[in-house]
Amino acid sequence: MGTTKDRSVYKTLGWCGFGAGTNAGIVDVKEGKIARIRPMRIDEKYSVDDIKPWTIHARGSSFTPGLKTTLPPLAYGYKQRVYSPNRVPYPLKRVDWDPQGERHPETRGISGYERISWDEAAQICADEIARVIDTYGCSAVFCQGDGHGETKIIGGGHGCNTRLMDVLGGYTCQARQPDSWEGWYWGAKHVWGMDPVGKQTLQNNVLRDVSQNSDAVLFWGCDPETTPWGWGGQIASQICYWWTDLGIKSIYVCPDLNYGAAVHADTWIPVLPNTDAALQLAIAYVWMTEGLYDRSYIDTHAVGFDWFEYYVLGREDGVPKTPKWAEEKCGVPSRRIKALARYWAQHNVSIAHCNGGGYIRSCFSHEPGRLEVCLLAMQAVGAPGRNQISMIEWGLYGQQNLLTCPRPAGGTYFGAAFTGHLPGTGLRWSIPQTMVPDAILLPEGEELTWYGHVIAGLPRIDQFGQHRYPEPGASRIHMFWTDTPCWSTCWNGGNRMQDALRDPSIEFMLVQHPWMENDTLFADIILPVSTKLEQTDIATCTMCGHNDLAIHEEQAVDPVGEARTDAECVLAIAEKLGVAELLVGTWLGSMSVDEARAQLPEQFAAHTLTDEEKVAAFEELKRVGFMGGNPNLAKGDGPRSKQLSAMKGGMSQYLPFEKFVEVGYYPFPTADDWEDDPAGLIQFHDDPEGHPLDTPTGKIEFYATGIAEHWPGDEERPPVPHWIEESEAHHERLTCDRGKDYPFLVVSNHPRWRVHAEHDDIAWLRELNACKVIGPDGYRYEPVWVNPVDARARNLHDGDIVRIFNERGNVLGGVVVTERIMPHCISQDHGARVDSIVTGTGGLDRGGANNLICPGATTSKNAPGEVTNGFLANIEKVDVQALAAQYPEEFNRDYDPAVGLIASARIVKEA
Amino acid sequence: MAKTFLIDIARCNGCRSCQVACKDEHCGADWAPYAAPQPDTGQFWIEVDEQVRGSVPKVKMAYTPHSCRHCADAPCLEAGRDGAVYRRDDGLVIIDPERARGQRAIVEACPFGAVFWNEALALPQKCTGCAHLLEDGWSEPRCVDACPTGALRWIDEEDAIAAGGEALGATDSCTPRTRYLNVPKRFVAGEAYDREADEELIGCTVTLLSDGTEVAKTTTDDFGDFWFHDVEPGLYRVRFEYPNYLPREVEADVRTEDRNIGGVALASA
Repeated sequence: MGTTKDRSVYKTLGWCGFGAGTNAGIVDVKEGKIARIRPMRIDEKYSVDDIKPWTIHARGSSFTPGLKTTLPPLAYGYKQRVYSPNRVPYPLKRVDWDPQGERHPETRGISGYERISWDEAAQICADEIARVIDTYGCSAVFCQGDGHGETKIIGGGHGCNTRLMDVLGGYTCQARQPDSWEGWYWGAKHVWGMDPVGKQTLQNNVLRDVSQNSDAVLFWGCDPETTPWGWGGQIASQICYWWTDLGIKSIYVCPDLNYGAAVHADTWIPVLPNTDAALQLAIAYVWMTEGLYDRSYIDTHAVGFDWFEYYVLGREDGVPKTPKWAEEKCGVPSRRIKALARYWAQHNVSIAHCNGGGYIRSCFSHEPGRLEVCLLAMQAVGAPGRNQISMIEWGLYGQQNLLTCPRPAGGTYFGAAFTGHLPGTGLRWSIPQTMVPDAILLPEGEELTWYGHVIAGLPRIDQFGQHRYPEPGASRIHMFWTDTPCWSTCWNGGNRMQDALRDPSIEFMLVQHPWMENDTLFADIILPVSTKLEQTDIATCTMCGHNDLAIHEEQAVDPVGEARTDAECVLAIAEKLGVAELLVGTWLGSMSVDEARAQLPEQFAAHTLTDEEKVAAFEELKRVGFMGGNPNLAKGDGPRSKQLSAMKGGMSQYLPFEKFVEVGYYPFPTADDWEDDPAGLIQFHDDPEGHPLDTPTGKIEFYATGIAEHWPGDEERPPVPHWIEESEAHHERLTCDRGKDYPFLVVSNHPRWRVHAEHDDIAWLRELNACKVIGPDGYRYEPVWVNPVDARARNLHDGDIVRIFNERGNVLGGVVVTERIMPHCISQDHGARVDSIVTGTGGLDRGGANNLICPGATTSKNAPGEVTNGFLANIEKVDVQALAAQYPEEFNRDYDPAVGLIASARIVKEA
Repeated sequence: MAKTFLIDIARCNGCRSCQVACKDEHCGADWAPYAAPQPDTGQFWIEVDEQVRGSVPKVKMAYTPHSCRHCADAPCLEAGRDGAVYRRDDGLVIIDPERARGQRAIVEACPFGAVFWNEALALPQKCTGCAHLLEDGWSEPRCVDACPTGALRWIDEEDAIAAGGEALGATDSCTPRTRYLNVPKRFVAGEAYDREADEELIGCTVTLLSDGTEVAKTTTDDFGDFWFHDVEPGLYRVRFEYPNYLPREVEADVRTEDRNIGGVALASA
């Protein structure tokens, strides 16, 4: 070892949740502290002949991802997240919550915390669980474990509470949305199948195809320089540069000059948020009226085109969907729509996506989602150079067909050892993530209904089943237990969620989390969780573009304060209930959940494991993940459990476990025969009968037979995709009545300097001018981009502090007057840390967490997706000094301008 | 062999990995004898400047990483007393964190603002090229290691010069050794269309004129758009010519900034 470190450990630094790791790096440790976080070199311990990095040749040039990982700045700055002054230092209890007396739900989010011991905290949690189960039954315990946060395996997170509750008899599960691809999930699937994502899931060799054959790539609501960061680094950036070198035209269609457009766009076509459907319909109109589409392909590959034509040409409603018609709705000049339509028809054009964005996360997002597929079909999708290419999540779910880059030989997933929640399991009682506030605030005696389990990764047919809350005979929820407490700054209508979290029906709110942030501040008990740098674990590094890796992650540094892993937090509660051995048994797979339930004690009585037993169990769990074969996953009650069990473990065919631990990682070489994989949809293109799609007809359904059969009268998602102006639940168009009071459409994209709610306390990011705007009070506000035209009209200037507001509430932001946003829109990244001045509906947030004022209603009547982008609001300059005078206590909380809110602001009694 | 940074602006995606990795390396870390700890915030041993160019919908970003340029005739070397600033054999200019204490003149000597004053330590501080890592066997500084696109390189100085790297900001008295590729000049962009027909004009000849002299010529693309990249600052006229249309000239002022002249309507003859 040299002088600049004492030792090094491998660590994946992605934030993609549910055990699917990415962003492998190295943490150098010196004198017990993190010295640095740096990229990993895949050839450190293996030869290039072992690794076989891939190379794609195209147009006389070649591209290889190389042998070094491409971490995002979020990873390089992660030391500050570990040592953040906003860490939860020890177990905390809300001062005015007394489980034996007054619980004061109304002061959640407001009142402070006092330090308690781990022993006391675990006992309170165990007693409350026992009481709630005894009083109401297991369905009264709500387990939230969504996808946002660090990615761990044995360390858990993302629903680490669920296995214990499974053993105790079940729980009500927060179903995990297809949250970054809503429109494809609820829309595109009904046109071309493509389970489970709805985007083109036949991705093999699409990167090669586009590189070799496309004339242009339409980056439609797609930012390859932002959204991939948390899920796989920066190879997408390298690819975009290479495509430009190859002469492939990059056309960006989005309201903002996003970070990809900023450096790669040859042409930027600004479109008003969530009006892409109008633009798409007008393109179809041009093609239909000018004969610019492949009629013979439609005849052989599609059904229901006549219905689509009938609508587009205006025969259904008397309104032809002309470019002029679209111009008024989408803000793209009609001449430009025509030029785009003609260019597209005369060239090989593919569409690129990186999830996210208003394109796919606004109201009625299923309409642009499926219109896109209709357009692709009209230009013979699957022909060389004509595919939909994913620039993110390559190989999602461990599915080989989702690998856009060349395919590796082999792979693994350590799900068998994952102590968090596996999506698709535990569905006896569940509530869609989007409807949690509705469920909690539901008047007594009423019931909520919706279609589909609303879980990313489920097939199209799941959408047709109706579900309800509360289930007959099952209690409503009375305890809220979360290890991912960021709902209010990530989902649809956080102010209403704050109302829900203060509802008296929630008798106990338990949060386990590393940081005092967001919904953590509504907890009655907070358990301190360690970050993954303080833990030892196993991990996979996939979705990056370079060779997939299996990694043994050593502990880098000691836990901060009294932090424990998520699994250890749950285990501490299980010990108080006397069920620790059963919990560990189900984690290890040495007993099934049913067997564990059969052994539940008559009376809960504490029984602790020794430290040695715990260490041994978690070390053994690593081996379980490595080998695979946890029977609890194979026997889960969710539709995906078989699939999950099929892709786990199996590593012993590559190397022994002991060798894996010793060497630290294993790279999966590129498959020798990757070039033989048919590219994208070429087989369907060449032989639609022999290679049908997974739609009811096997063809592209312009008229969605599944929708027609199940919801024949749905005017918000009719069988043929439509332009939907408004609905009973949604009035989010500039032209609607609300548009008079709220004349801006809000772009609230996946953040550049965060992964959703993560990283907002990293000082090295916060001090970037592009990341925060310093207000006159020294507070760093979340930037709001305002076009100069709108800024002039409202006398706004750089650095002004404004409130962004609608009926749902107000969030503050710092003005950046910029040409990066088109007029009539404002852009503020989503996921800023909540800093409530006034909580709940109509409230005021200083942090700029604009999800607080998103619509609460779901995508449409029968599609319970999220609406978190492209909604109406107004902006108005505020006087922060006056606000500070009005709310002195809230404005004077402990605050460090460099890192933002700090834990001491909420801890009123240290011992 | 003297080494230097070669920075390709056309390859910088603005991710700030260099900047954050630099902070990760130096904030709170004592790398004596090359550097004292950098304060957590406020100093930028490498910083990426960003500039928004043009107007909707002809907008581009220019990201330019700046750090100490380890100049050939570095003014800080002269400003430092008692050997406080010295040059290594590999060309890196180092401020000795012991000898430089109290020497504020070293900060003021830098024409690029690349030297920062550490109030608590009474010390001028700046990029060391991660000399401590190079001495420990690294082949390149942290910022270069972290760059995902190859925009930052650490190469032999003569190769940087041979590659055409520009010594950005060079003056008579100071020659930076850091070299830059693809330093953007100004752009003139716009669109030609036929208002009456409501059509873009594709393949329209567009000529950039300075004092009546042709400077550059192009044709509009499939969207009726044209771009003149790398235009020298100045006042230009742009002439549009299209068969069967009346020619038209408009002004393009790029004396102080890039210019999107917007949609220019041509009328049929």
